[in-house]
Amino acid sequence: MSHGRSTSFQGVHQRAIILVLVGLFAVQTALTWTSSTSVAPGRGSLSTQALIGRQLYQDHNCTACHQLYGLGGYMGPDLTNVTRAQGKGPDYARGIILHGTQLMPAQQVTPAEAGHLVAYLDAWASSGTYPIRSFDLTPWGTYLQMNDDARD
Amino acid sequence: MPAIDRSALLFLVFGVVSLWLGAFFGLLGAWQQVMPGLFDVIPFVKSRPLHVSLVISWIFMVAVGGVYHYLPLLVGRPMHSPRLVRVHLFLWMILGLAVLGSYMLGRFGGREYWEFPPALGGLIAVSWFLLVYNFFRTAMQGRGPWPAYLWMWATGVVFFLLTFLEAYSWLWPRDDANVVRDLTVQWKAYGALTGSWNMLVYGLALVVMERISGDTEYARSRTAFLLYALGFTNLLFGWAHHIYPVPSAPWLRYLAYGVSMTEWILLARMIRHWRHTLDGAQRHQHVLAAHFLYASEAWVFLNLGLALLISIPAINLFTHGTHITVAHAMGSTIGINTMILFAAIFHTVDRVHGDTGTRVQYVRLGFWLLNGGLVLFWLSLIGAGMIKGWYTLMSDLSFQDIMVMVRPFLMSFAAWGIVLFVGITLLAVHASWALLGPFLRSRPVPVDRSTEAYNR
Repeated sequence: MSHGRSTSFQGVHQRAIILVLVGLFAVQTALTWTSSTSVAPGRGSLSTQALIGRQLYQDHNCTACHQLYGLGGYMGPDLTNVTRAQGKGPDYARGIILHGTQLMPAQQVTPAEAGHLVAYLDAWASSGTYPIRSFDLTPWGTYLQMNDDARD
Repeated sequence: MPAIDRSALLFLVFGVVSLWLGAFFGLLGAWQQVMPGLFDVIPFVKSRPLHVSLVISWIFMVAVGGVYHYLPLLVGRPMHSPRLVRVHLFLWMILGLAVLGSYMLGRFGGREYWEFPPALGGLIAVSWFLLVYNFFRTAMQGRGPWPAYLWMWATGVVFFLLTFLEAYSWLWPRDDANVVRDLTVQWKAYGALTGSWNMLVYGLALVVMERISGDTEYARSRTAFLLYALGFTNLLFGWAHHIYPVPSAPWLRYLAYGVSMTEWILLARMIRHWRHTLDGAQRHQHVLAAHFLYASEAWVFLNLGLALLISIPAINLFTHGTHITVAHAMGSTIGINTMILFAAIFHTVDRVHGDTGTRVQYVRLGFWLLNGGLVLFWLSLIGAGMIKGWYTLMSDLSFQDIMVMVRPFLMSFAAWGIVLFVGITLLAVHASWALLGPFLRSRPVPVDRSTEAYNR
């Protein structure tokens, strides 16, 4: 089997290459942490209440069963738009958190904490729509709705 | 046996124990999905993180144990600090117990994959820093240019630490916090974390392959370095297919789409070299470790095909958030990583014992149960995902109605999970027994005559 020509990277080159790679990573990270993920006011920003809700969501490991934008567990439904979906809403979400359903146990939270959780879920609902049921496919394997973003 | 080797072997033994426990909780979680309420002492909210963390721990323990085991042989010098290796092992033991305890008590607080209280994440970062320091102090002592596997390990240890810290960046309070950034940064970090531990595992595969075949040229060839560079580019930029539906800047997602598609090169190369692989499989059929490596190559082929398809946004639209993503994760962690890690373990067993040191027929049975069960387990998940994806997008059915349609596939998934678990149990029992042998009998490790060949 032919493997191609052998390479001859030496000590100083090894370090230089690692530095360049770390540099690329840093640039990409800086862009991802700033302009590429900034949002317009009210489109997914996390209020103080929502930040408390975020910690509660993690403390109760809601992600084991639920998804946000399709990421998380598979036992329960996706919660991205639960507070704004037709036939659901903040009260519906609060009721389920406090009292549970046939399949989901009631969460051990106070009504105030349930309110924080709902604020957190509402931040998600304000950021966009998931799943995307109305889409226009392109010849390039993409879909036009990939351009919709909360930064508008 | 030198103390350093004992610590490296203990990493492998504890890794195997983690795998078995992780598989047990995975099986429990699979059955809880079709029989809610089953074994309520450990509900799904606990069994899922127990499964995920233990399986990730299996990958870490064996990949890192493999680095500690092979690195001194490859550079021709002992580890810079054997004491730090022992400290690392001790820290991970404490961490393992703390994580399991926190899950059992229902104390969470972290994010998906790292659901334990974030303070424990700090301990992981410290222990990983010890590895980075010890790795470079040892690897830099070697003479001559680095082969591709040392580059892979170097990249893996550094980028794991960096991206692990990034995965915890949500702890840093920001006035402009928003859910889009939260999710994007989280999956950027997770994509790179997975790429980092894959670098460790693939580096290990190259080492074992080199030792089995005796071909020391490949890991130093331009082809090997090009493949490494491709893997690294994907580690950096190829993660955003996880977040195609998330409304972040479009360039992030288009870039990831483009970078992901470069992996077709890998697939084409695999098809081109398939005959060579088959020849090798026949030539080395007497070597247990080789079986696992060839199985991993078959799984790379299947899983890379799936990954490439679901990285196309128009297809991802239907597969994202479905069990097809789980199939991809299982194909990667069990089909690819676990096969490579078992190859490293049984190769180490060969070194330690001078022979397979175990009952080969049971290992072979475990191998076939694991692979056969995994194929059907994997197909069941793909079937479940296709149903869920199609009806979620193309109908007005509720989540509950769709899950009723998916249920037969989940039953099949859980049933084949039993076969998978039996296979893993056979392999885990024989691997740990063989690895523990030297501790029980105080037998010395045979001198590895091939060390000089790796230190040219």
